Parts: sequence; structure tokens; C-alpha cells
Amino acid sequence: MTNLEENSSTEQAERKPVRFVPGQPDMWVFVLFESLLFTGYFSVYLIGRIQNRDLYLQSQADLDLRFGIFNTIALLLSSWAIARCVQASREGAYRDALRDAFLTIGFGAAFLVSKVIEWVNEIRLGNTFTSNEFFEHFFFLTSIHLLHLLIGFVVMGVAVYQLWSPARRSQQLVETCATYWHTVDFLWVLIFALLYVVR
Amino acid sequence: MSVPTGSPVARFVWNFRHHPKRELWFAWWVMVIFYQLYGVLFFLVTRVQPPPSPAWDTPAVVQWFSERHHGLLAGFGIVFLISGMCAPMNALLAYSMRRMSVSRIFGYSYLVMYALSAIPGMLVMAIAMTVGALRPDRDPEMIHWLYDFAFLSFSGTMGVFMIGSLVWLVAILIDNNRVFPKWFGYLGLCNALTEVVVAPAWIFQRGVFAWNGAIAWWINMVVFVTYTACFIVLLRKMVEREDFGTGPLPDLPSKATRSQRDSVGALQ
Amino acid sequence: MRRTDGELILFWTLPAIAIIWVSAFFLFPGFLHPMSPTLSADAVAEFYRDETARIRYSMILFNWFGVGLIPTVMLLAMQVRRMAHRTPILSYSLIGCAGGPPCLFLIANMFWLLGSFRPERSPELTRLLNDFAWVTFTVLVPYLIAQCLILALAIYWDRQEQPVFKTWVAHFNLLVAAALAPAAFGALTFSGPFAWDGLLSFWGKNIAIAAWIVVMGFVLGQTILRRREEEPVAA
Repeated sequence: MTNLEENSSTEQAERKPVRFVPGQPDMWVFVLFESLLFTGYFSVYLIGRIQNRDLYLQSQADLDLRFGIFNTIALLLSSWAIARCVQASREGAYRDALRDAFLTIGFGAAFLVSKVIEWVNEIRLGNTFTSNEFFEHFFFLTSIHLLHLLIGFVVMGVAVYQLWSPARRSQQLVETCATYWHTVDFLWVLIFALLYVVR
Repeated sequence: MSVPTGSPVARFVWNFRHHPKRELWFAWWVMVIFYQLYGVLFFLVTRVQPPPSPAWDTPAVVQWFSERHHGLLAGFGIVFLISGMCAPMNALLAYSMRRMSVSRIFGYSYLVMYALSAIPGMLVMAIAMTVGALRPDRDPEMIHWLYDFAFLSFSGTMGVFMIGSLVWLVAILIDNNRVFPKWFGYLGLCNALTEVVVAPAWIFQRGVFAWNGAIAWWINMVVFVTYTACFIVLLRKMVEREDFGTGPLPDLPSKATRSQRDSVGALQ
Repeated sequence: MRRTDGELILFWTLPAIAIIWVSAFFLFPGFLHPMSPTLSADAVAEFYRDETARIRYSMILFNWFGVGLIPTVMLLAMQVRRMAHRTPILSYSLIGCAGGPPCLFLIANMFWLLGSFRPERSPELTRLLNDFAWVTFTVLVPYLIAQCLILALAIYWDRQEQPVFKTWVAHFNLLVAAALAPAAFGALTFSGPFAWDGLLSFWGKNIAIAAWIVVMGFVLGQTILRRREEEPVAA
């Protein structure tokens, strides 16, 4: 490391994150903040819904529940895959961990493709971002979630990069990536419940 | 040379002349003062924030301008005087990236991006509002157009801030010198995303995504204020910890030993 | 024989740019005497109709050479870098300021050119464009003020055997900053010294900028030449 005087303090700093949480504690700050942010967005949606019940109910009928269910299953499977990846990585089974990481990405890609198809369908039905208040929220929430998913691909890239070579393989970093991915899944479940299910 | 005691003025003068970190403190204080002035000027003097609605009709807009005639001209006059304060602020942030273990390109990219960001993001609005308030007898349709121009250029040109945030946050996340905590890098991601969220302001004249909407303005403001407060505090910590080396930035010593070290700033 | 590194070439762009700018300044019919903000829409439209050619050519000239002073500001930033500072904060600040004034000036420039493009346009619209041009041109001072203040600070803090710039240069920059300040308020009135055609906002500001270019040009030239004599032949 650097100079000897600082050595003890940096060592302590490295030992400091007592394992209350998996991965970097910092990522959990992000999770908390994003959750608060999305709570804000959901609240705005709910207030709009209360004021405009009929419009929202009517517009919701245009949504295809099958897409929603498929998306939810895809992301749940991806979460399962990343959890297995973390487990395998903990045990040192890096080939399996890598395979699971790619599975995660695969399920995420399935989500992405189906989401785009769903959007195209809705637009063909005449429901666009500017159609009415419900679809404002629908496209906004699904877009911002998709953006998180795309960032998730970058994050998974980092995880794969870490798992690939024995020179790296920071367990903490892999777990941090997994935390982020679970958050993406968690946010989707909330969006699914709010937009598709609650009628 | 030992730290002087005595009146705040004497201490300030000594610090100005001899403090080893005076350049950094200069930049930090310029930043803090700038944000205070910015808040006062935009919220209290010109009263352009919180923003009015894009859904108003032309007479309401003309009325809005006439109520704020003097505030707009005087307030933005001060903005035209002090906008240069952004430069030391951006310099400090670029410096923070220079202190990291990452390539110098991050710091330079950030410096250039933010150097130009104030023009579409603040000065164009100031100019449009000034021209709008300049002649109250102007054709109302033109005044309405200037109103749109001002608020859309202010809220809708967030791309620069978004990319700038991304540059900074990537630097923070791959940095080995621990200049900033990783959670602040992740917070930068939240901030960058809010710049995306404000883009629908170009599309909607009413509702939660309009330039004054619950999502595009109010929630965004909360994130922006939080982020700004965090980086002001973290930059202060960085300056305090700075050892002018190239390795990891040391942590601050405990409070007992800290009071014996060189003074933190003139007004302490 | 010293290897050519182009520094002197860049330095000599300064007097070239200054001459071009001054020529364009006199060519533009709206600077001598400066157009009054009190002109009616019809008077403004008439101005753009009658003087279309001079407006266009002078502004095209300004447009070409609008960024001409940036190499000079960069040369100054290099000098600041050589001062006895602990960090590059001040040179970074200068670099951060450098793009602002030409960017704002070019916006004003565009509005003058737009106004002269279709002189048969509605007078109200032409006056709007004219307002934009004049307001932007007058209030473009914040980065110039910051540049002067940062330079002054850098010079005050340059404590070494042979400081890069003498102290009077710092005082001069403070003076220029003070002379530029009134122009920030150039939109507040239509008459008097603060108006965009007034003594302070127009003459004060533009003479201050001209003086800064001349004085800093000399000082910079002296410094660069002195350094080139002092340093041994570069490898």
C-alpha cells in the first residue's frame, strides 16, 4: 500500500465493513434512495388515479396482462440466477458462477425484448406517451425501469469481468452487482402490481 | 509559521496569505457562496422558481412578467455579474478527479462540459427572461414565447449535467484513492437519472411531467438539493484530508488531534 | 536553434485578432454611436433595412474570429500554471472561464445576423431579435470578470523570487473587472450610463476589454520572450 503510518488506519478501514449487508454497504444507500424516489413516483401515480378513476380503469384494460406476467417471471428467474451466481462464487465454483451470470443477463434480455414488443403493441393500439394520464405514467415508469435494467446490464458486465479472471474475483463486488440486480427486479414487481394488477 | 489567534479578520488575512490549502478553500467557499446566491436570486429575487405553469394563457403570462418586472431585471443583473463563480467550483471538482487514481481525461472532460453547461442551463434563461421583462408593452404572443424559451431552456437542457454526473461517478467508482465514498458515486447515478426524468418537460404543457410538474420539478428538486448538499460536504472533507500526494487520501484524524492541525478556514 | 513549438505563433495571433475585431467594430453601424434601446420597432426595422450590408459583413467577420482570443487565454493559463501555487485550481478556473465569453458573444452575433437576414420581417420581430442581440452582447461579462479576478488572485499568490507577472498586472485586472461590472446591469434602464448604449455599459465595458487585450498582450509577450531567453535550448 502507501506509507506505513497510514497502514493501520487503511487496514482498519478495510476490515470495517462488518458484514451486516452483502456487497458494498454503499450500494444499499443507492437502493434506499432509489426506493424512496420510486415511492415518490408511485405516490404521484396513485394520487392521479384517485382523481381520475374511470380514465385509469379504462386505460388499464388496454394493457395485456400476459406481457406483465411474462416480464415478472423473466425478472424473477433472473434474480434466482444471480442469487445462484453469488452462492457459487462464494463456494469458489467460478465456472458455475459465470454460467449463472450469463443466465441472469439472458433473462434480462428476454425482459427487454418483450417490453419493446409490448410498447410497440400499445402504440399500434393508439396508446402513446401523450395519449392520456394513465399512459403518461405507464410509459414513464416502464421506461425509467428499463433504463435501470440497461444499467443493470453494465453492472452484470462488471460482475462477469470480475468472475472471469482469477486475478480479480472480488466477492464484495459481485455481491454489490447482485444487490443492484435484485433492486431492479424488486422495482419491477412494484410497477407490475401497480400498473397491471391493481384494478 | 503558527496559526494566529485574534480577530476573525486577522485570521482571514493570515489564511489568505499563508494557508497551504488556500487555493482549495478559495474554490470551496466560492462554490458555497455561489449556491447560496443562486438560491436567493432564483427563488426570492426573481421568483422564477418554483416555476409557473406552462398551461397558462397569454394574459396570465403577461401578468406574471409584470408582477416580477423589477425583480427579474435586477436579479438577473446580479446573475450576469456572478456567473463566473462557477469556474472555481468546476475547477475544484476537476481537481478532485485529478487526485483520484483515474486518468486525467476525466477531470478535463468534466471541466469542459461544465464550463459550457451554464450557458444553455442558466444564462440563456436569464437572457430570455431579461428580454421578456425588458418591454412590458411588447406583443403578448412574443412575451409568451420568451416565457416558454426561458423555462424550457432552463429545465430542458439537462443533458450536459447528466453526462457530467456520469463522468464524475464513473471516476469515483473506479478510483482507488478513496477520494469520495462509493455511495456518493451511486447517488450520482440517481442524480443523472433525474436529468433524464426532466426531459418530458419538452412534451407536456400540463400534468406531472410539465416543467413545473410534481415529477419533473418537485421530486427532481429534492434529488438535486440532496446531491448538491452531499457534494458540498464531501468536497469539504476532501480538502481537509488532502495531503498533496498521489496515493490514497488519508482519513481525517480524530477530533482531538484535528484541532491542533492547521486551521480549516478563516471563519472557523 | 530552438525547436518550433508554435507558442510564439499563437501569441502573435493576438494582435492579428485585435486588428480584425477593431475593424469589424467600426464596420458595424450599430456601435458608433451605439444603438439606443429606446428606438421604436419601426426605427429598428429601418436600421436593419438601410444598413443591411454593413451589419452582415461586420458580423460575419466577428463570427469567423469570435473565438480568436482563446489561444491567448490558454497562454495566460500556462503562465498561471508556472506560478508558485500548490494546485492547478487557478489555471483550471481560467480554462473553465475561457469558453464563456466567445460563446455568449456568438449568440449575440447570431441574433444581429438573423435580424439582417430578412429585413422585411415584421418590425416587432426585428426589434425582438435586436433586443436579444444587444442584451446578450452587453451582459456577457461574468466570465470576463471572473477571468480578471482569478488572474489577479493568481498573481497575488505567486510568491517566488521572480514572479511570473508583476503585481501591477493584478491591480490592473481588478480595475478591468470593476469596469466590466456595470454592464451586467445593462438591461435595467433605457437611458443613462447603465443602458446598453450608455457610458458604463457600452463605452466602459468595451474600452476595458480593449485595454485588457492591449496590456495583457504586452505583458504576455514580455513574459514569453523572457522565458524563451532564460530556458536552455530544448532537447
